[in-house]
Amino acid sequence: MKKLIALIMGAVMCLGLCGCNSNGSDGNSASGNNTDWNYIKNKGEAIIGITYYEPMNYLDENGELTGFETEFTKAVCEKLGVTPKFQVIDWKKKEIELKSKTIDLIWNGLTVTDERRENMAFSTTYLKNRQVVIIKKDNAEKYTDTKSMAGASVAFEAGSAGEDAANADDTLKDCKQIGCDAQKDAVLEVKAGTAEIGIVDYTLARSAVDSDDFSDLMILESVQLMDEDYAVGVRLEDTETLAKINQAIDELAKDGTLLDLAKKYGVDDIYAL
Amino acid sequence: MSFLEVTKQLANGFGVTVVIFLITLVVSLPLGLVITFGSMSKILPVKWITKTFVWIIRGTPLMLQIILIFYGPGLLFKMQALPRLTAVLIAFIINYSCYFSEIYRGGIESIPKGQYEAGQVLGMTKTQIFFKIVLFQVIKRIVPPMGNEIITLVKDTSLARVIAVTELVKAAEDIVSMKMIIWPLFYIGAFYLVFSALLTVLLNYVEKKMNYYSG
Repeated sequence: MKKLIALIMGAVMCLGLCGCNSNGSDGNSASGNNTDWNYIKNKGEAIIGITYYEPMNYLDENGELTGFETEFTKAVCEKLGVTPKFQVIDWKKKEIELKSKTIDLIWNGLTVTDERRENMAFSTTYLKNRQVVIIKKDNAEKYTDTKSMAGASVAFEAGSAGEDAANADDTLKDCKQIGCDAQKDAVLEVKAGTAEIGIVDYTLARSAVDSDDFSDLMILESVQLMDEDYAVGVRLEDTETLAKINQAIDELAKDGTLLDLAKKYGVDDIYAL
Repeated sequence: MSFLEVTKQLANGFGVTVVIFLITLVVSLPLGLVITFGSMSKILPVKWITKTFVWIIRGTPLMLQIILIFYGPGLLFKMQALPRLTAVLIAFIINYSCYFSEIYRGGIESIPKGQYEAGQVLGMTKTQIFFKIVLFQVIKRIVPPMGNEIITLVKDTSLARVIAVTELVKAAEDIVSMKMIIWPLFYIGAFYLVFSALLTVLLNYVEKKMNYYSG
């Protein structure tokens, strides 16, 4: 009996401990007049929604977060006087994360689309990326343009710009489409042969075909899909925050910091400012 | 990325998996008993409220419960969200307590009436009868079905990644998308296998020890 009570008490204390480490500082005061920029400023930190992928946000050999977007975010946040706190999110839930204030900004090679404009505001475009087609090298002769892909299976990340690109093409939109969880899964589908065509963005495709495990894949340069703009995602109502970020990006572009960063991480070929 | 580096990074994810597993287990085991008492209560409102609660929790996917507990406060009530791991733990504890409670109920109801009557003859109180006579026979009988749930829990921890908690599967997926190497995705299977093998051995041991109470 005593043991059982001790066990229950222990369990309750466990729960209590879990509850305590919540960041209880000024979370509840977020409502009322304390919205928009003041909300972030008072917290002293901006929670940045990211996913891991090279060369944007990834872990180096020592397990430290690094990448083009990581350094870019830090530089902007320094100008704004807040600390960035990077939070890995499930990319499909980025809109929910932003709305429920579990993150404050999306800064991870986020593509500007009309659909997303309904849920978030976008900063100045800083990179111009494009969606590319990846196929197995063995299929290089079979697939030369999108017309030759009729009847093939097409994999892309569900809800990503890759899906938009597939639907914008007359042939690809009638193909068997496979909406994956993440861009890397679309690459995996092609590698595993469960899809013939993969549509992912150029930066990711580049790092995939350059790696050992995916060296049997290639980017089909002859097919031109949509261009896409990369920008920072901000809550729709956070107009003041957006203005501050745009100003900081502008300053970083003018003094050359941003271009240096782009060169450092090999994305200067798609630099847009 | 070398085997050692990958293992090191996966070990971090495995740590989170183990934390979710252990805390859920330690809290749910006694909490399940409380729910059992509720659903076996002679006070009808308590009984029906508990039964409805168990029905809702068992009738909806754990994944949905995790999403609701984490995003719900912010989306519905404009409140600050709980830390991610805490939200996962709450969802798991509630979910597993409900499943455990039904296993307990089955165990308790399987004890013959004669055991209670024998206790009464000896002049024991109801509480004494339950904790001194019934409980250990119940534990003996429920070890196999509990083993099922406990081993399922090991693998259910991978659901935590829906709110981006970096447990073992997410840790492996992160390596795949960052380093463009595939094998870690298969390698994590070994972690789960070894973990559940250890649990199976432990459960068999418990079952043997409990043979003493076979009634």
